[in-house]
Amino acid sequence: MNASRRAWTLGGLAGAAALLALPAFGNDYVVGVGLTVLMWIALTQSWCVLSKMTGYVSLGHVVFYGLGAYLVVVTWQQVPLAFAVLGAGLLAAAFAALVGLPVLRVRGPYFVILSFGVSELVKFSIMAAESASGTASRILFGAPDLSVIYYAMAALALAATLLLGWVSRSRFGHGLRSLRENEEAAETLGVPIVRLKLLAFVLSAVIPGMVGGVMATRSTYFVVGQVFDPMVSITVIAMAIIGGGDDAKGPLLGVVFLALLSELLWARAPLLYMVILGAILIVFVLVLPNGLAGLAARGRTAARPPDARAAP
Amino acid sequence: MPWVDVLLSGQLLFAALVTGSLYALVALGLNLVYGTMRMLNVAHGDLVMLGAYAAYWAFTLAGISPLVAAPVIAVIGGAVGYGLYRGLFRRLLGGAQVDAGRVEANSLLLFFGLSIILQNVAALAFTPNNRAYQYLDEVVHLGNVSMTGNRIAALAIAGGTCIGVAAFLSRSVAGLAMRAVIERREAAYIVGVDVDRVQWSSFALGFGCAGLAGVLLSMLEQFSPFSGFPFTVAGFIVIILGGLGNLLAGLAAALLLGAIETYGVALTSANLRSVLLYAVFVAALVLFPNGLLARLKGRR
Amino acid sequence: MTALLSVRGVGKRFGGLTALADVSFDVEPGELVGLMGANGAGKTTLFSLIAGNARPSSGDIRYDGQSILGLRADQVCRLGIGRTYQIVKPFPALSVLDNVRTAALFGKAQARTAGEADALVRPVLDELGLAGVADQPAANLTLSAQKRLEIARAVATGARLVLLDEVMAGLTPTEVAAMLATLRRLRAERGLTLLVIEHVMRALMDLCGRIVVLHHGQLLAEGTPAEIGAHPQVLAAYFGTPG
Repeated sequence: MNASRRAWTLGGLAGAAALLALPAFGNDYVVGVGLTVLMWIALTQSWCVLSKMTGYVSLGHVVFYGLGAYLVVVTWQQVPLAFAVLGAGLLAAAFAALVGLPVLRVRGPYFVILSFGVSELVKFSIMAAESASGTASRILFGAPDLSVIYYAMAALALAATLLLGWVSRSRFGHGLRSLRENEEAAETLGVPIVRLKLLAFVLSAVIPGMVGGVMATRSTYFVVGQVFDPMVSITVIAMAIIGGGDDAKGPLLGVVFLALLSELLWARAPLLYMVILGAILIVFVLVLPNGLAGLAARGRTAARPPDARAAP
Repeated sequence: MPWVDVLLSGQLLFAALVTGSLYALVALGLNLVYGTMRMLNVAHGDLVMLGAYAAYWAFTLAGISPLVAAPVIAVIGGAVGYGLYRGLFRRLLGGAQVDAGRVEANSLLLFFGLSIILQNVAALAFTPNNRAYQYLDEVVHLGNVSMTGNRIAALAIAGGTCIGVAAFLSRSVAGLAMRAVIERREAAYIVGVDVDRVQWSSFALGFGCAGLAGVLLSMLEQFSPFSGFPFTVAGFIVIILGGLGNLLAGLAAALLLGAIETYGVALTSANLRSVLLYAVFVAALVLFPNGLLARLKGRR
Repeated sequence: MTALLSVRGVGKRFGGLTALADVSFDVEPGELVGLMGANGAGKTTLFSLIAGNARPSSGDIRYDGQSILGLRADQVCRLGIGRTYQIVKPFPALSVLDNVRTAALFGKAQARTAGEADALVRPVLDELGLAGVADQPAANLTLSAQKRLEIARAVATGARLVLLDEVMAGLTPTEVAAMLATLRRLRAERGLTLLVIEHVMRALMDLCGRIVVLHHGQLLAEGTPAEIGAHPQVLAAYFGTPG
């Protein structure tokens, strides 16, 4: 147990150091890759706050990202960027608070497709609104420096990881896990299930909103459809599944794995990358439901399955 | 166009019927497959897409009329369903029903993976571009409604198949067995139903319907490897609104959906087609939070 | 003395089916009351209404003098009512310890941290013979152990009134005796009030000071075990013979 924790801490520190040093040493391409990795960390960790903890698997996570990006783009150069990004987080959280109650009444696989439907509905609605007002796309000038964007994203990735870590270890998180396992029993034991679900949902929205806002500054040519791309939601799920585990460490494995894979394939063979992504989803769901973290844990403690460990 | 004229338009009524009948056919297939598997097959629309491509290639490469290709492709679809059942799902389904909710949510991701693979393999093989061909597109006039032959054929075939299958399910013994397995598999075992045979037949029939719907689609509209997904969404809307296994209500729900889309777009604009579809989808799920489960008490 | 639990004219309809009709009885603090009746008599439904898992169609339910009608299940739990489920509902992937911690954290006890919770949880686990499997995932437990887990959770909430739903079902006579002893001990040490649904007749008569009999959703009889055992209507309902 201690050896693994040491390995994680060393690996984590090394990775963090490398990432933080990147803008100083790397060229724009490398920094871009690092930025992408940080972005996926932020998105996946925040997704886990809802979906890993409560079992409400969201296939619509990108909606928060898109709303955040849209706000920043719409207020472009009318509002200081920092405020716009903060506002993006607030907008996403407000949206989550608004739709959370009706949406979280739906369970299991229906929640999965509902979350997808909500995301697509928001996407098509904004597209229709833009089309009606005659805006087909927007051109953005005056983006901030890449290293500024990079460090902003690093902060968000750190925040997301800390958030998931805190939730995972808190009384709040214990309540979430309980309702994940059996909602009715949890309620009978005093867990305020509706309130906790909603809170997890809103918490999971804030950081993706800001991530979307930050990433929007990267594109000079903004098209609504892109920032609500369902592939973002699917990739987040894939990363979480690949990583596995029930804490803040697993998703990091998944992010690194898939980010590397996509870097290798995306530019050259995007369709092939998608096929492999689909295959990975299938393999992990069928064969490795606890992901790579589960695999590692299984290797270490051959006698006990990973989730037998009492939550700290 | 003033909205009263829109609502009374025979032209739009015909369009709504055509769209609705296609949705009904897709939902029928989904009903059968989901009813058997109890897993949300989000790749169903992609089977429709594959059927469309099959008809497209049959027509453009070999000059085979889609009307002739339709039954063949339906049978091939059925065979694929049978193969998948034997190869993959029988193991998954026969096994223990541990933690049904989590397995269902996970299996949905599994089908999502499958859907991604199907769409992108198709895009790799066929290019992502839109495809279309002209067949039976001479216009026929009935009163002041102009219809094209292919739309009439699609309506006839889709409608006929739905009614035929519905009749089969409600009148025949085999159909009764199918409905029994859909409603309560464990009980069906006990009363002596050959559940295995019913399951693969449902599968085959469901896949066949999907393939057939694809052929009809190819006659009517242009399509791409990514055209299948909206049909999955439509299929789910119909099932959620109409209820699992309830084919008559499903038929009504499908026609309703076709009407909402057609009249909605006519009253507003074509941009809103997707908005309407997903708005109905979200509303259906939120208003019926138990979805299909409300009709299947005691299944868990 | 105000009754701890007061059920007044409670009825429950599911569509056309009347599960309960005009049921009234009291439970005094510290009592051990049994709830008896054939399958379908409405006993578990009554539990669901008391615990807040469902709402009565009519009537009132009062806990410690105040009406708990319309309160959610988690609110009812925090007031001090705990219940077990006839068909056990453990948290399968969580350890036994974590299962019971949930009760201590969110129930009436409202422990703030896992450490605080453990001070309440460990003794309960010991009482119910679950200390040895504390780190096992609940899914790995035998059914009998899972039933004890249900009780452990209900008790660990810090509840004053515990609703026990057929906790003896499927136990051997030795296990029944052990369970009776455990329940008596828990009640004595923690000042619990117990309302018990049971089909194991001898255990019910042995354990409870008073028994309430339901039949087809209505209150058929109420009294001491001896009175109930000789009650003509109860005998008629169970054996079909008068007297």
